[in-house]
Amino acid sequence: MTDQASILIIDENHARAAIIQAGLREAGHANVRWLNETSNLLRHIADIDPDVIIIDLESPNRDVLEQMFQVSRLVKRPVAMFVDQSDSVAMQDAMVAGVSAYVVDGLRKDRVKPILDMCILRFNVFSRLQEELHEAKMALADRKVIERAKGILMEAKSLSEQDAYVLMRKTAMDQKRRLVDIARAIVTAEAMLK
Amino acid sequence: MKSLRIGFIPLIDAAIPIAAVECGFAEREGLEIALVRETSWANIRDKLVHGLFDGSHMLAPLAVATSLGLGNARVGLAVPFGLNANGNCITLASRLYRALEEVLGHPPQDPRQSAQALKRIIDRRKSAGEPPITFGVVFPFSVHAIVVRHWLRLGGIDPHNDVQFQVVPPPFMVASLSEGVIEGCCVGEPWNSRAVESGVGSIVVFGAEIARSAPDKVLALRDETLSQEPDAIHRLLRTYALAARWCQDRENHANLAHMLAQPQYLNVAPKTVMGALSGSLAINRTAARSMADFLAFEGADINRPDPRKARWLYAEIAMGLRLPLIENQASAAQQVFRPEIFDAATGNNALPESADPIGLKFGPAFEAEDLQSYVDALSISPAAPARR
Repeated sequence: MTDQASILIIDENHARAAIIQAGLREAGHANVRWLNETSNLLRHIADIDPDVIIIDLESPNRDVLEQMFQVSRLVKRPVAMFVDQSDSVAMQDAMVAGVSAYVVDGLRKDRVKPILDMCILRFNVFSRLQEELHEAKMALADRKVIERAKGILMEAKSLSEQDAYVLMRKTAMDQKRRLVDIARAIVTAEAMLK
Repeated sequence: MKSLRIGFIPLIDAAIPIAAVECGFAEREGLEIALVRETSWANIRDKLVHGLFDGSHMLAPLAVATSLGLGNARVGLAVPFGLNANGNCITLASRLYRALEEVLGHPPQDPRQSAQALKRIIDRRKSAGEPPITFGVVFPFSVHAIVVRHWLRLGGIDPHNDVQFQVVPPPFMVASLSEGVIEGCCVGEPWNSRAVESGVGSIVVFGAEIARSAPDKVLALRDETLSQEPDAIHRLLRTYALAARWCQDRENHANLAHMLAQPQYLNVAPKTVMGALSGSLAINRTAARSMADFLAFEGADINRPDPRKARWLYAEIAMGLRLPLIENQASAAQQVFRPEIFDAATGNNALPESADPIGLKFGPAFEAEDLQSYVDALSISPAAPARR
């Protein structure tokens, strides 16, 4: 089953836009386009003439879309923000996820709702991926610092790798600090004493 | 400790909400305030309306429009505190500014003269079949749009038919001027200075040259928050009154500039903030202009929300949308501004002194009880321009 409503995604984040586009296509929306232009947005929207506009809440361009509530010489069809009055929790979910939908010239609510829901889902998936990536990067950075501190201790105190690690872990536990904080202190101290 | 979430847009006029936290005024009142930075006024409005914020820094006309259901949402908002008056400029793209200089024979100074010169340029372009001039404003409901319309009318320019308006988010203003998407704009600082520094545009008018005390940003709350949390809101207003006094004091401006410049707030160089605080700005590559009341944070007719100003905002919004004036709506607008809450919280018992709460420097006088006369005085018939 395909839905021919034309959907426009405005998002400066390429990766997220791709994830949303893929999600909408899988759900049977064949007519999905993506725009990351920031200048002269109204002209671009007029050219594409979508039924639904999905916009990232981090984009200052949301205020440009607000202009389209009033009849503007630049757009052919009036635009309304999609607000599900009956479901305030759903609106909060959308805002927390960081997405907002606009409906051009009254596309039926029961057709817009699943589109927005899919976008919320995909926005959340993207946030989770980003968090995981961030955590992985942090873990890698932490491990590098710990390795470096271990090396400093091994050299300064002629310890084995295992003993250097045990010393750092014991210090961290005694001082109720994280292992990486102790490691960072060693690296900093070494740099200062050089 | 009572926790409150307050939204703000990274602008110099978010000074009071930021200083209230940074100077420790809020903590002393037993408030733990989480300041949440946003990128658009639409986000601010939606998060306030849907309960994700307890209160927010907001464009004064947006608070009125939202309460009246003009534009998008329709939710009763309350304004118990005004955050600033003025602080915006009208900037023209360099080419248009030079054309203005040629018509005038000197750099533009007096707002009426510069608007009259612009009128001659517009007429010339019209007869040559060239496209109309587009002005960028920060939001459909903004004092910025109102200020531009007043300036244009001084020269006999019809804001509805002789020019176009387009909403441009402030961070995109300089690029839009440089790409020719817009040829002029009205925006707060530091965006005008950015246009001047990069040689893209020149400042032609300060907003404070058009109006003595145009309400710019306000603290907006949901009506229901006022009734549910009266004590917390009273404490918040006392905090803001202290912050307003602190922000207005010139001796604190260097500290305030550093405070606002921080990455979590405006994320700019402190000297970029100083221009607007001192009221002394480079208006083009060679000249500067100073105005002591370029931007004001504190004063009897700034912080205490004057319902007459809400009526003015309503009249201006209606004119902008070309809607007829309706007294019911004017009264509804008036009720958005809540001086009694301000008085109860701060112990204020002084009534506003000025007979005219707006003080348009080129008129007309604003009489809050007679909106129709005000609107009539501003209507320009294209056949007989410059009637004043």
